[in-house]
Amino acid sequence: MARIEVKSEITGTVWQIKMQAGDTVASGDTLIVIESMKMEIPVIAEEGGTLVEILVQEKDPVAEGQVVAILEE
Amino acid sequence: MPWQAEIDELHRRRALAEACGGPEAVARHHAQGKLTVRERINALVDAGTFREVGKLAGKGTYDSGGQLTGFEPAPYVMGIAKINGRPLAIGGEDYTIRAGTGFGSDRRKGGQGGFIEDLAFQYRIPLVNLIDGTGGSVNTAKRKGYTVVPGYGQDGMERSADLLGVVPVVSAVMGTTAGGPAMRAILSHWSIMVKGTGHLFAAGPPVVERAFGQRLSKEDLGGTAVAVDRAGTIDNVASSEADCFAQIRRFMSYMPQNVWNLPPQLDVGDPVDRCEAALASIVPRADRQAYNMRTLLGMIVDRDSWFEIQPGFGRAIITALARLNGKVVGIIASNPMVGGIMDVKAARKQGHFTELCDMFNIPLLLFADVPGLMVGLESEAAAILREGVRARFIGFQVSVPVITVIIRKCYGVAGGGFTDRGGLNFKIAWPSAQWGSLPVEGGVKAAYKREIASAPDPVARERELEAELRALASPFRTAEAFAVEDIIDPRETRPYLCQFIDACQDRLATQLGPKLRAGVRP
Repeated sequence: MARIEVKSEITGTVWQIKMQAGDTVASGDTLIVIESMKMEIPVIAEEGGTLVEILVQEKDPVAEGQVVAILEE
Repeated sequence: MPWQAEIDELHRRRALAEACGGPEAVARHHAQGKLTVRERINALVDAGTFREVGKLAGKGTYDSGGQLTGFEPAPYVMGIAKINGRPLAIGGEDYTIRAGTGFGSDRRKGGQGGFIEDLAFQYRIPLVNLIDGTGGSVNTAKRKGYTVVPGYGQDGMERSADLLGVVPVVSAVMGTTAGGPAMRAILSHWSIMVKGTGHLFAAGPPVVERAFGQRLSKEDLGGTAVAVDRAGTIDNVASSEADCFAQIRRFMSYMPQNVWNLPPQLDVGDPVDRCEAALASIVPRADRQAYNMRTLLGMIVDRDSWFEIQPGFGRAIITALARLNGKVVGIIASNPMVGGIMDVKAARKQGHFTELCDMFNIPLLLFADVPGLMVGLESEAAAILREGVRARFIGFQVSVPVITVIIRKCYGVAGGGFTDRGGLNFKIAWPSAQWGSLPVEGGVKAAYKREIASAPDPVARERELEAELRALASPFRTAEAFAVEDIIDPRETRPYLCQFIDACQDRLATQLGPKLRAGVRP
């Protein structure tokens, strides 16, 4: 079982959490939406799997490259 | 055979050269995950095509009878070969011999201004530098008996600069690189660094520690995270040497042999009239919501033809080489996934890529979704206006055809950078497009400040004014006025662009040759 770290592309604030631990994730699914520069930027799963953990909460600040979720293949 | 002894001697000397820095040095080099320079060249070029030049150069030692007793090869290996069936000049330092530093011949084999650069220049064939050397050494003074002014004698950097106007030059940073070789790496049209083993800096960790008392590893100071992603000094990252060679072959497949030739066409059998249904729904109605521009563009260009330049640097802009109906195109696109706002890095990236495509007669396609230049103190202090205007200035000077496709936002100084003011100024838009000097929101507040403030209900008046202006902002009104040349169904984008790219080939074929530019860049 490969552990996949999902990172935020951008610095901003967590706007919405779209999925929960235990959910089955398909490639291309939006896990989290980050608000940055007045835009809603989705954090998208590049590979499918099971969502192990979301590491942030709504309104949390996130940095570019920060790991925000863990998937398991 | 009257010359048997000499021919035997020749083969003996070749074998000595092939030993590089000796078995121990080669084993150390391999242990770091690095191939020797001849192994690298053979792994990169078409099988069996490398013909080495100057293999006998080096330093022999002789006994009193004049017999060769030892030989240290010149720490540079070069020659001609083929990539994708086309000839090129190629060379690289042999790091196993004194870390690839010079060997003091009157004529250099390679590196800046060496034989291999003269060959590429005279034959008008591309040059690939496999860089793995640390440049000058204080030992040079010991050898010469005096020190030299930088640029003295066979500095040769002027030849490296000449090459940038005539043939494609690629540099791969495959080891720790500073000084002359670092400069050589940057004097290229495209560069790549191997992650983990490639490093590039003006001066290495010991010099930095002496100057600032700051202790950094080579990776911290000049690894891919700094030299590629943060600085954009080197363009792309390779995960391994094998990946590095695959990417060089790929980049070369888009390049002409020189500025007197067009880039090669490659028909992969992708139908011109392929209209992807998903293009009609990829842009969300809510303009706050981002979408994946790479996915969008992937549906338009020829299958498997996408090759991104500088994917990690200046990420507000995406720059890529691709093909439409087999013909090479350069793509500059906003990246809404990081906001799409043009910052200084994105501006630098856009200007450089524009110039690269213009030099090699590659038409440009600009896909706009740009809200404007990056605002704020940090951005102003980083010279966003100068960088943004420079990118536009470079755009004014191009002589390749440019087509603008406005996907969504196209605002302000940055938006203007997506139009071809120096040429046909041909703009097509998707129905999702919006444009102007600045967005209605915020713009209304600034332009109608007094009117809003004096209204009985300022908030309601602001909303009213916004609605009024938004109605005027329909792209169809602009198309009625022929102030945008066309609005297209997003699904038609591929056939539409393919037909125009086909049509501009005669223009490209009749403007070949070096391009000289007048004026002072802002």
